[in-house]
Amino acid sequence: MGRSIPLVEKEFVTGFRQQKEWAGLIASAFFFGKVGSGLFIMSVFLDSWLGMLVGLLIVLCGKGGAHMLYLGRPLRFWRGMSKPGTAWVSRGIWAMTFMMAAGFALLALPAGSSLYMPLAVFAVISAFVVAVYDGFLLTSSPAIPIWNTALMPVMCMFYSFLGGTTMVMFMSHLGLMPLSEKFTGLLPNLEIALLVANLLIVLLFLIGSINTGSAGRESFDLLVKGPYAVPFFSLAIGVGLVFTLLMSVFGGAHAGAGTVALITVADLVGHFFIFFLLLKIGVFKPVLGFLKI
Amino acid sequence: MRYGMVIDLKRCVGCQACTVGCKAENGNGPDIMYTKVLDQVSGEYPNVRKQFVPVLCNHCKDAPCVRVCPTGATYKREDGLVLVDHDKCMGCRACYVACPYNNRIFLKRGKLKTGYYGKEMTPYEQVKYPEHQDGIVEKCKFCSHRIDAGLTETSCSQTCPADARIFGDLDDPESKVSRLIRSRGGRQPLCEDDTDPSVYYLD
Repeated sequence: MGRSIPLVEKEFVTGFRQQKEWAGLIASAFFFGKVGSGLFIMSVFLDSWLGMLVGLLIVLCGKGGAHMLYLGRPLRFWRGMSKPGTAWVSRGIWAMTFMMAAGFALLALPAGSSLYMPLAVFAVISAFVVAVYDGFLLTSSPAIPIWNTALMPVMCMFYSFLGGTTMVMFMSHLGLMPLSEKFTGLLPNLEIALLVANLLIVLLFLIGSINTGSAGRESFDLLVKGPYAVPFFSLAIGVGLVFTLLMSVFGGAHAGAGTVALITVADLVGHFFIFFLLLKIGVFKPVLGFLKI
Repeated sequence: MRYGMVIDLKRCVGCQACTVGCKAENGNGPDIMYTKVLDQVSGEYPNVRKQFVPVLCNHCKDAPCVRVCPTGATYKREDGLVLVDHDKCMGCRACYVACPYNNRIFLKRGKLKTGYYGKEMTPYEQVKYPEHQDGIVEKCKFCSHRIDAGLTETSCSQTCPADARIFGDLDDPESKVSRLIRSRGGRQPLCEDDTDPSVYYLD
């Protein structure tokens, strides 16, 4: 059936319609949210004050800023906290608020404070929710079949960990995050493992998307055959995962700051584009999909 | 009491009178249509069939837009109407991507500053535009202002020259809408999404 129904824009005809409202700024918010919270979580485990600060600032300024720029009525943003019981947007705002409050309190605590551990646990849990809620937000939208997969939050989680690991590697090479030898050796291996995991998740997502009905198939075609195929295969997969993986395996963290900087840029480019493209390919089903001759 | 609408696809002639009637009733600006009639052409020559499909907010019983709205701006009334409180909406558009019927409209900032005819607004636009706000999401209200005033028809159902749109109480088994659904086998759009729409289509 999907093959006989066109993809339409604003015309007064029935057909699949691409969602146009969530694009660049929402993708930026997702991107900054995941990279910032990933860096924050990693920094708490590595006990890096500066890493935590940078992570918090990325989430606050990057994610918060992108959301504020996107909102039609930004001064009403506080109203978005009204319905955490049913709305993932509300849950996300609350998680961000908790992460900021606990994170900055953690930074202000004196060394050896008894409050450090409970605050750190609370901040990490909040940061984790910030990292994955985008996935639940997309999954909870019944209108766009390609987003309705349990892999979405998993993908968000792994991309967040990958972004965080890459940023930690980058900052430690700049001398901003002094790490013990144990962690210096562990990070490149963790990076490779996360890149492989992300590749597998994207592959599973694509395989699963083929059978998500006619609108899901339309989205899949847009991504792998249509206008978004070039940025998807070149930037999201090629640069973001394959190139990064090859550089990590054959160059790695030991190849110098230039290589690590290249890995970081490539990883972040891929990270942004995968979620940007996933938003762009969202397709609504035709209202009366059953009409056939 | 649950207000709903039955759309008889056999009667619709695609004249868009309902579209215009709705715009006039609500004073909607350019590109803002709470309802419209879509064309669908299927088959190949010489076996071609053209059909007109009027679309509007379905005022679902289990509306995803109500569920995902983080501000509570989108809410459901006891009579089944799903409405948007303009003063609460922050323009996040979560409802826009959650509505399976793609029947929500985002009014971009500045959209209400100019009317249909360039820089100056007509007297009608000057009266009607203040009822809207830019930067928020709007949608069909099932003419709640008319219902609240005691009228029994929406603007689109009253305007339709072919009587293709019938408005009434779905909970009343003797209402015209209920009888039509029973006798003609009314179908809900995208019923697989389990939203229980209040709009039924008759083939």
